[in-house]
Amino acid sequence: MDWDTLVYAGFKLTGIMIVFAVVMGIVAYTVLAERRVLAFIQGRLGPNRVGYGGMLQPLADLLKFIFKEDIIPDKSTKFIYFLAPIIATTAALMTIIVYPFGPTVTLPLIGSVQLVVTRFDVALLYVLGITSVGVYGIALAGWSSNNKYSLMGGLRSAAQLISYELSLGLALIGVVLQSGTLDLYQIVEQQYGVQGMGWYLFWVQPIGFIIYLISAIAETNRVPFDLPEAETELVAGFHTEYSAMKFALFFMAEYINMFTVSMLATTLFLGGWNGPFVKQIPWLGPLYFIGKVVFFLFLYIWLRGTLPRFRFDQLMNFGWKFLLPVAILNIILTATLQFTGVIDAVNALFKGWLGFLG
Amino acid sequence: MLALLFILFAGLAVGCAIAMVAQRNPLYSAISLIGVFISLASLYVMLAAPFIAAVQVIVYAGAIMVLVVFVIMLLNVEEEEHRVLRPRYLVPGAIAMAAVLFAEAAFIISFVGDSRNTPATSASDVGLTMSIGTGLFTKYLLPFEITSLLLLMAIVGAMSLARRGALLPTDARVIPGAQVLTRSIVDPEAVGDATPVITHSTAEAAELLQEPAEARPASRTKDTDLE
Repeated sequence: MDWDTLVYAGFKLTGIMIVFAVVMGIVAYTVLAERRVLAFIQGRLGPNRVGYGGMLQPLADLLKFIFKEDIIPDKSTKFIYFLAPIIATTAALMTIIVYPFGPTVTLPLIGSVQLVVTRFDVALLYVLGITSVGVYGIALAGWSSNNKYSLMGGLRSAAQLISYELSLGLALIGVVLQSGTLDLYQIVEQQYGVQGMGWYLFWVQPIGFIIYLISAIAETNRVPFDLPEAETELVAGFHTEYSAMKFALFFMAEYINMFTVSMLATTLFLGGWNGPFVKQIPWLGPLYFIGKVVFFLFLYIWLRGTLPRFRFDQLMNFGWKFLLPVAILNIILTATLQFTGVIDAVNALFKGWLGFLG
Repeated sequence: MLALLFILFAGLAVGCAIAMVAQRNPLYSAISLIGVFISLASLYVMLAAPFIAAVQVIVYAGAIMVLVVFVIMLLNVEEEEHRVLRPRYLVPGAIAMAAVLFAEAAFIISFVGDSRNTPATSASDVGLTMSIGTGLFTKYLLPFEITSLLLLMAIVGAMSLARRGALLPTDARVIPGAQVLTRSIVDPEAVGDATPVITHSTAEAAELLQEPAEARPASRTKDTDLE
């Protein structure tokens, strides 16, 4: 262990800590925002007593979770019962290190830094892999609780995740075909275009974006795909038997998952940290990134306030018989356009027209 | 540092593998197997093959084992109550297999010990996505296509095995929530009656069959199988 390795490790650890703090902060306030915005949509006030406008509510909730009684069902499979929330939260948190938050910026004392914790060749596959492991948290929680509602919720959730992960992955392949890389940083860099507006959403991938958005909402078990937690049918679904901090872990995992799929959507389709004048002022990058992610989080809350829930067979039919074929068509379309050189030609044309801007 | 990580992940893999065989609860065995796959993926990362590692996690840990866990959960297999006595003649077979395994391991160790000084041939980009993709679509195109054909056949086979409606007449349609079946299938009393029964709900079907809706057990509708 020489000095350089230690400095490198310290640098990476600091990066992870900062990203972790930012993500957890945003997650905590997403919960508050969800309650306030939903209340607004439904003509209520929402939590507004703790702190100014309810700003300290997340802290109060956390304290409550810590001090609540932790009830463990007698007939549960104890080891797995403890393991499940850990798997769920860990898997949700593990993906945040690969997302690029901003371009290269200059910091005092340190010098120029890329605003990304780590870059590697297969970042996108890493995200998909970790997401697919996250299924176990929910499925095992449902099974180990020894409760029929929990088991139903866990099974539904696992079936839903497996079904929608296919169309989600296929939607991402369109982007990969166009960019030719699995490295998220390079994918973002390629979306600079003219004045940081060459987002894949505009160039060729609108269908892929819509498929991704729908599948992502299903992946995170949110309205209108919240079958695993359908209160009217399953009490609370897979986490019926969980209380106190273990329940909080599941709750956190759900919101972290929302956040990470929003980050992936931003990175792949909305140009990541790209935006006007980002080349001149690099610190605009993180702002653009967070802004786009917050837009997605708002979309989630908005949908929850607007849409009713699917029926389970509708959910399965929609996923397998509509979303999957459309995703495959999208791949064929992208591949054709890419192979025939249409995308490059259009890109060159637009660069020529708008060259004076960028 | 690398040796330390190797010992950690290799130990984890071996430990999980032993746990998988030794556990009596099938779900614990399945979880141990997931542990084996994930430790193997970590070893692949250390061998500079990130693509293989990611695919290992996605395919084995994420897809195949989910199905296994699913089946165990659905069947709700109890713990083995008492061990079934295994036939005597299996013991020499097991010893022979173990001997072969140890011989293989010894051979590999001695072989690696001999060829320690041979330089690795351009190991820098072997495990990367780009080189794997190029290899798959140029040099190994034929095996790749044959494998995909094999997988396609497996899918078609699974479909035709799983579709219980394969024996139904061609005009019958089975969709959860909106079923169209010939009457002879829907009603066991109407043998040979081929008029299609077009309904959109259980109540409508009951009405068509001149049967009160309450008398019809819910398990008769096929869409309940999914849930």
